[in-house]
Amino acid sequence: MRTAKTIILYILLIMSAAVMVFPIFYAFMISFMEGREVLGGRIIPQSFTFDNYMSAFERVPLLRYLWNSFIVSLAIMVGQLVVSSLAAFAFAFLTFRGRDFLFFLFISTMMIPWEATMVPNFMTVQKLGWLNTYTGLTVPFFALAFGTFLLRQHFKTIPIELYEASLVAGISRFRFFWSVVLPVSKTSLVTLGIYSFLTAWNMYLWPLLVTNNDSVRTVQIGLKQMQSQEISTEWGVVMAAVVIVILPTLILLFAGQKRLQSGLTQGAIK
Amino acid sequence: MKKPMMLLFFCLLLFLSACSSSNQPSSSEANGEKQNQSDGEKTEVIFWHAMGGELEPVLNEIVDEFNKKQENIEVKPIFQGSYEEALTKFNTVAGTKDAPAIMQIFEVGTKYMIDSGKIQPVQKFIDEENYDTSQWEKNISNYYSVGGVQYSMPFNSSTPVLIYNKDVFKEAGLDPEKPPMTYSELKDAAKKLTKGQERYGFSILNYGWFFEELLAVQGGHFVDQENGREGNAQKAVFNSEEGLRVFELIADMYKEGTYYNVGTNWDDIRAAFQSGKIAMYLDSSAGVKAIVDNAPFDVGVSYLPVPDNVERQGVIIGGASIWMSAGIEEETQKAAWEFMKYLTTPEVQAKWHVESGYFAINPKAYEEDIVKQEWEKYPQLKVTVDQLHDTKPTVATQGALISVFPEARQKIVTAMENIYQGMDPKQALDRAAQEVDRALEVANKKQEN
Repeated sequence: MRTAKTIILYILLIMSAAVMVFPIFYAFMISFMEGREVLGGRIIPQSFTFDNYMSAFERVPLLRYLWNSFIVSLAIMVGQLVVSSLAAFAFAFLTFRGRDFLFFLFISTMMIPWEATMVPNFMTVQKLGWLNTYTGLTVPFFALAFGTFLLRQHFKTIPIELYEASLVAGISRFRFFWSVVLPVSKTSLVTLGIYSFLTAWNMYLWPLLVTNNDSVRTVQIGLKQMQSQEISTEWGVVMAAVVIVILPTLILLFAGQKRLQSGLTQGAIK
Repeated sequence: MKKPMMLLFFCLLLFLSACSSSNQPSSSEANGEKQNQSDGEKTEVIFWHAMGGELEPVLNEIVDEFNKKQENIEVKPIFQGSYEEALTKFNTVAGTKDAPAIMQIFEVGTKYMIDSGKIQPVQKFIDEENYDTSQWEKNISNYYSVGGVQYSMPFNSSTPVLIYNKDVFKEAGLDPEKPPMTYSELKDAAKKLTKGQERYGFSILNYGWFFEELLAVQGGHFVDQENGREGNAQKAVFNSEEGLRVFELIADMYKEGTYYNVGTNWDDIRAAFQSGKIAMYLDSSAGVKAIVDNAPFDVGVSYLPVPDNVERQGVIIGGASIWMSAGIEEETQKAAWEFMKYLTTPEVQAKWHVESGYFAINPKAYEEDIVKQEWEKYPQLKVTVDQLHDTKPTVATQGALISVFPEARQKIVTAMENIYQGMDPKQALDRAAQEVDRALEVANKKQEN
């Protein structure tokens, strides 16, 4: 009876896995195909060539874009971790007037879609002269309500007595934050880190808005650049670039999957 | 333990400031033509475009050649996303120092750009130099000329054509050299070409442009005020007899099962054609070459079909033109003008036509050797040019001029989808016209304020 259950469970799992993986698999296969094979609706290419990969690198400065994307995503990740963890610490441990009100005000910003604030953000960045800089690409994303919320929920699980004891013992707040709170919350931090890195990696509209040349452009713009309007797009080349672009995110996912999973579910239950 | 955190923090700050300062030169380089001028160096002309994919290398090559020939001007082409995205981006910086000297805008953005007041009509330079615009293809430059003023420089232009599969024409017993020219011929051919669910006779992409073209080819207008060229359009008039004929054609064929609805994606309709799912469809002339290259069968290209007993008027051009920014240094504008002139020379246009599939603005380009060779290889390309040459320069084929074009196109798409749902063609068309009326009204009010 139990084995039958397991078998059914695994069959279902395999089926859903196949459904999930198919688009990526298909993209991978297209990256080896010629234009006529793609449009002809083939799933497996007739022959495997790396021509598409070669032309992907020739057509746009892909390496430059990858490097830019990496820097931007890394900066946003570190920035969000620093800002969110410090803010979460304040909301979780410090007592001051209007704390809960401030916190809910802060959280309610999650309801405002990012697109709604895009224009004012752009104006600010433009006035500051941050167009075409890494600063303009990253700084607007440092404060993240979701991250603060996630970390605060985790920090709340640390007994407040511990904090009081540390104050009595004469340990500075920052010391407590650094050597007690952060190590305990590793899972949440890793989750948030991966989450913000992936989100930043996939950004398209903002980088397109604030960059006017190739110097700091990110890889998602490069992907768009390979597609044409009105005339046929060479999907083989685009998919080759896509495969290259998703590699870092896949590696990150595989490496941090366990933590990401436990971290996210933890946040969900609380 | 305290140190690493601080270190990390400092690293981040240092890193960001280092990055931004290291990029400062490049950013001011991109925007500041002034700097270079005061140094007595090359005048930099920033050229924003939306030519992605295979078009970008072609454009870059043309620009490189220009830069090599010039001593004082450096043109920098920069990709800015799709036409829509590029226009949005231009809006955010228009009139400031970050604005590019040359901007590529799609044809339906023409009215919008004129109204924006942030551009310099190229007519000024044409007058100053007595530049001869008669060397341009009249049917193309007409579109971008309003009230006798040439606003922008035509650049990449295309028209729609009927594309068909010659192999299945033979299989169905049709003459592959005699494609359908009228609606009844089209219907007949589609009936013979259809094979149940396996193959459909005909298809049109759900895209407003094709409707506009099918309207213009019969001489129908899209909006009042002479297609919006005599004044601000107040009302949509595409729900006329001409417009209804187009919608009835689609509705009839769809009911008969000879018409296939592919949706709104250009690549989908091409894939359907390549895999033999549809035998005939409408496509942009710019896409012809890639279709011929990719198809595993013989591809035929022909003129747009017209209703029976209606005189053929011709086609409106699509694509994009290039605009000059206002509010930038005069020297930069002059440099930009030099580049625009270079773009329209027969040699450059010949190269552009051959490698991109877009029309040559300068008809002399068709006499260049590379074009002749290309036409021998792809006789289909010549058909597209002939269709343009046969066009009668009327208000209908000049194309409508309204600022809410993207919205109007969306309404047409909705109307087409309504037909597939079984709505009466007349009702669908009237509803679309009403909605466009409303959009026009709002736009006109906005402009008055």
